[in-house]
Amino acid sequence: MYNQNKVYLCSMYSSELIKGTLKTIILKLLSENGKMYGYEITQKVKELTDGKIQLTEGALYPTLHALEDDGILTTNAVNVGNRIRKYYTVTKSGKKLATEKVNEYQDFMNTMIFLLDLKPNLG
Amino acid sequence: MVVLTEQQVTFILDEIKRNGIELEELQLNLLDHICCVIENEMLADQDFGEFYHAIIPRFFKRDLLEIQQETDLLLTFKHYYAMKKVMIGSGIFSAITFIAGAFLKLMYLPAGSALLVLAVSSFSLLFLPLVFLLKAKEVKVKREKITLSVAAIFAILFSLSILFKIMHWPGANILSMTALGILVFVFLPIYFFGGIRNAEARTNTITTSILILSAGGLLFMLTSIKPSRRVNFLHYTALQQLNESYKYATAQTKMLSVDSATASNKLKPDFTELHNSCDELCHKIETEKNRINEYITAGQDPKQDYEEVFYDYATDYDVPNNLLFDNLGNPSSHLIAIKNDMAHLKTLLKEKYNKRDIAILNIADADSYGNPEKEIVPWEKAKFYHVPYGLVMTNFTQLQLDVRMIEASCL
Repeated sequence: MYNQNKVYLCSMYSSELIKGTLKTIILKLLSENGKMYGYEITQKVKELTDGKIQLTEGALYPTLHALEDDGILTTNAVNVGNRIRKYYTVTKSGKKLATEKVNEYQDFMNTMIFLLDLKPNLG
Repeated sequence: MVVLTEQQVTFILDEIKRNGIELEELQLNLLDHICCVIENEMLADQDFGEFYHAIIPRFFKRDLLEIQQETDLLLTFKHYYAMKKVMIGSGIFSAITFIAGAFLKLMYLPAGSALLVLAVSSFSLLFLPLVFLLKAKEVKVKREKITLSVAAIFAILFSLSILFKIMHWPGANILSMTALGILVFVFLPIYFFGGIRNAEARTNTITTSILILSAGGLLFMLTSIKPSRRVNFLHYTALQQLNESYKYATAQTKMLSVDSATASNKLKPDFTELHNSCDELCHKIETEKNRINEYITAGQDPKQDYEEVFYDYATDYDVPNNLLFDNLGNPSSHLIAIKNDMAHLKTLLKEKYNKRDIAILNIADADSYGNPEKEIVPWEKAKFYHVPYGLVMTNFTQLQLDVRMIEASCL
């Protein structure tokens, strides 16, 4: 049903590596920054990763809508000039999910470091 | 930073809509996003149109519509799996309960009917609609969606009609005929004329249409099947004999009462009361029989071709059931009046004629016909509820005969 190969993430990493991380990235960013709009999210990710990960609109908006439909995000429409901007905020359950997702990802990373016998790059 | 004019914003919104983005929320998101990109990245001396067309391909791989499709997919993704799970669960549940129910019913064990009701209900009202909804999602062509929905309606109605038939609920024949009508007059034309246009599928369509038509014919035969004329003839002869006995008993009672009156110059006043009660009761029963006959022959004179009526409707459960009971199984006022008159007659016989233990005219609670569980139900339910036309008429006539017999015995 859902084509996993259709991940619209532009990055210097292969799509296999960052597959499934989009929700975690969005939830973590929104939990830390309060309300954000779509363009702002893409720019924030680009800035934080030095352009190594760039979210595309084709991946971002479907995920934002799905998270809103699940009650994990709420929206607030604000008039900006002659258009409407939708700000996204994480709900209480969304914050809990964000923590779970980040912890899960941290655990996964640790397992991968152990599995591939990598030394964490602290510098 | 460039500031976009109202015309430019409207142009972008129109472009988004033109590219097939129908979801309003998504339109607003993309509009704001494209505006942000232009405002932040376009130089003051750059042409708006050129810049717009240069940046828009970064939003998609093939076309802008894929964002809408991806959103739709993600929104239905969760429900899709939940629906699929419920569909498989209800399917397995229906199959198991159906087999168990059929086995229990076959062995005359309790709970067979309840399990069958549960099985067919979950199959018709849960499994089949979910199969249709999930299949409809996969089908893209509108004609195929219509064919699928008609097929689903047919399947639901037909399986419900089988449930109604085995439970002897009223309306089973209407349901099965409606289902077959939909199959033959709605589904088949859509399927046939849709497939015949396609040269590759032509032979397949013709073969499948013939198979559907034949299956429809066989199902029609199955649902409208009646006992053989020979069986009905035996039923009819029994009822005819009973009717004759009743008429004979009525005439004999009248004759005896006249003889008695002649012998003693006058009848006992009590007997007049008894005679009137018996007359009234027999008349009420006769009226009820005529009412059922009139209904079953849809206004034709039932006496004109009574034998034919009996042959055709001896096994009809619906008409007598609908006339004698309401949807909840409560008896009609006519039936209650007959029962009350019988009770009154019994009291009269006990008080005035000292007839205490009358085996006939029994209106005590009893177990109904063909009830393997021997459940005790009120008299009217035992004798008339879910009982076919032939037996209802026989029971009513037997009752009239009983009344006349007891009346004659009091002279």
